[in-house]
Amino acid sequence: MEISFEGVSKKYKKKWALKDFSSHLEDGIYGLLGENGAGKTTLINIFVGILKSDQGRILIDGRDIEKIGIGFLSQIGYLPQYPQFYQDFKVIEFLRYMSVLKGIPKGKGEKRAKELLEMVNLSEAMDMKIGALSGGMRQRVGIAQAMLNDPDILILDEPTAGLDPQERIRFRNLITKFSKNRIVLLATHIVSDIEHVANQVILLKSGELIKQGSPQQLMDQIKGKVWSITVTDDTLEEMLDLKISRMMRDEQGIHLRVIADEKPDDRAIHVKPNLEDVFLYYSSEGEKW
Amino acid sequence: MVSLLLFELRKHFMKKPLIIAIVCFSLLNVAKISSEYHEKSLLSPETNLKWHDLYWGDFYEQFSGVMTDQKIETLMSIYQPLEKKTADKTASTDSDNPNTYTGNLYNDHLFFKWNFVDPMEYSYLYKQYANDVVHKANENLTFFEAMGNDYEYEKNRIILDRFQGRRIDSFAYTEMFQYYIHYDFSAFLVILICLYALMSVFIIEKETDMDILLVTTQAGGQATTFVKILSTTLFVCAVSFWFGCIDFISFAHFFGSLEAISLPIYAIENFANTSLNLSLGEYALLSLIVKTIGFLVVSYFCLFISLFFRNALLPFIICLFFMLGFIYFQEAFMGSERIILKVVNPFNLLIHRELFRGTEFVNIFGFPVLSYTAAIFLAFVYGGISLMAIFLFQNKNTVYRIGVSKSGDFEI
Repeated sequence: MEISFEGVSKKYKKKWALKDFSSHLEDGIYGLLGENGAGKTTLINIFVGILKSDQGRILIDGRDIEKIGIGFLSQIGYLPQYPQFYQDFKVIEFLRYMSVLKGIPKGKGEKRAKELLEMVNLSEAMDMKIGALSGGMRQRVGIAQAMLNDPDILILDEPTAGLDPQERIRFRNLITKFSKNRIVLLATHIVSDIEHVANQVILLKSGELIKQGSPQQLMDQIKGKVWSITVTDDTLEEMLDLKISRMMRDEQGIHLRVIADEKPDDRAIHVKPNLEDVFLYYSSEGEKW
Repeated sequence: MVSLLLFELRKHFMKKPLIIAIVCFSLLNVAKISSEYHEKSLLSPETNLKWHDLYWGDFYEQFSGVMTDQKIETLMSIYQPLEKKTADKTASTDSDNPNTYTGNLYNDHLFFKWNFVDPMEYSYLYKQYANDVVHKANENLTFFEAMGNDYEYEKNRIILDRFQGRRIDSFAYTEMFQYYIHYDFSAFLVILICLYALMSVFIIEKETDMDILLVTTQAGGQATTFVKILSTTLFVCAVSFWFGCIDFISFAHFFGSLEAISLPIYAIENFANTSLNLSLGEYALLSLIVKTIGFLVVSYFCLFISLFFRNALLPFIICLFFMLGFIYFQEAFMGSERIILKVVNPFNLLIHRELFRGTEFVNIFGFPVLSYTAAIFLAFVYGGISLMAIFLFQNKNTVYRIGVSKSGDFEI
């Protein structure tokens, strides 16, 4: 399966929410990374048909999604941002309802729902009301409903928002489990969500595609631009104008991780970039830190 | 589609607070009907202590059924002496007179006058009244034909057709139907229940952010909108039918009689000029159907209003404001000559006496149309417009909107 975005644009009044977005996606996990307002949700909403683009088109295996018709929806599984679902529904009841909405035959839907609940470790909670679930459990229900129709394309919009670190790790593992032989598009502004699972990262800024590549490729591109400087409390203040991605204090002093094209200080030494550095490097490009 | 419908019903209408509201309102309705009987019925013990037993035990069987000369003579032989004795208001006001039926002459006089003489007189004279109407309509036909006034000619032809051959041959206890067809409290309760229940039908999807998810599923768009409307229709019909049944059964229970069920609707004095030739039992059924149409129209309108909000409170207040506005206009134009102002108000289908108790016409493109026909037709138009507007404004998936029309493979 392949998805091609060709010059997809969306404008709200005079502001571009998405500008001339073009990309090509094949099986694997794609991390859609950008700050809040970068255009991630707009791109997803256009893809799943909630919004209509002003320009451009989206092709799946070379066919325009607008011409595929209703069949297109059977190929996608979607988990929106901050889903609440119906508080009064039991977990299993909700999945049965989603099966009906997705046109899955009753027996098949029931079997699939139970399998998925097992996979997301919610079998025990299948008779609990959704209103009684924790945020993490609700997100797992969300991913289960997205997977009900065994979609070729799984779209997850900020799936870890509001989850505690343990739930986020569990969620990442689930996504990895579900990514086999399908395209997973995972929008987030939390780098650690995708750092170790994404095959490719798509960086968005102000509605425009900044970079696309594997995490390693992106990290290689900023090689030599990430520095470590150890300072004391007295000298810290003069460093605060730099792009500091991390600050850590120990017995030797304060260790600053700095992103800069040029060596920012005599004490600075090169360190290996990570994906967070990539995100900060590009998202703060041209901006005062 | 059936599964989808069942889920919609479960989602919106099988909620504990709603069921509690329906139960409480049902009990309130029964209590209100009980108070109607106890406060208004001539035969209730609170109004007249001995009348109930006297009416049902001693006289009803004697005078009910087909009115014959013999029955009338017997009644008059009791009533006329009482009328004479009380005419000059000098009779004793003691309430323990052993030579009376109720303990008091005045009370006896009123008992027979209100329970037998007046209703039997009305029934007996109705035939003459209807003949007069037919005669007048006949004269008008000749006159308007000569004048070439087709509209008035057709109007009188309908009146003649409706009033010809009318008569009330039998006497029966009509008090139950008299109060039943003038009872409106349950309509207000149904409106409140519908408003409360329906506000969440579309809004719940926004409150839970399910609106976004729904449009990305095959049946989450138009099909879900369709089942939402269908489930609303079923709910409103069920609530209307439930309260209709409670009204009818409670009135029959408290008044203790369905004796007049086969009498014509014009046996109720307020309906002397009705254009309907139905029995009271048939009218009760028609009344329920027309009320249900009214509830549906109002419900569709409220559903449409709710489409534009993300929480239920504001549309609830707006819809309540509209309802109170409709009630105000209904009251303001009750009995008015400006029939069109009655016809255009959808609330007149809920409190529809005004449409049915007389024979009134609306001029539609030069044709006289009975006011209730026009009102029901307009209700269908309002309902249709509201439904179309709901489909037009409800969220759609922009991707497959084109695809559906082209591929035509939309199945559930």
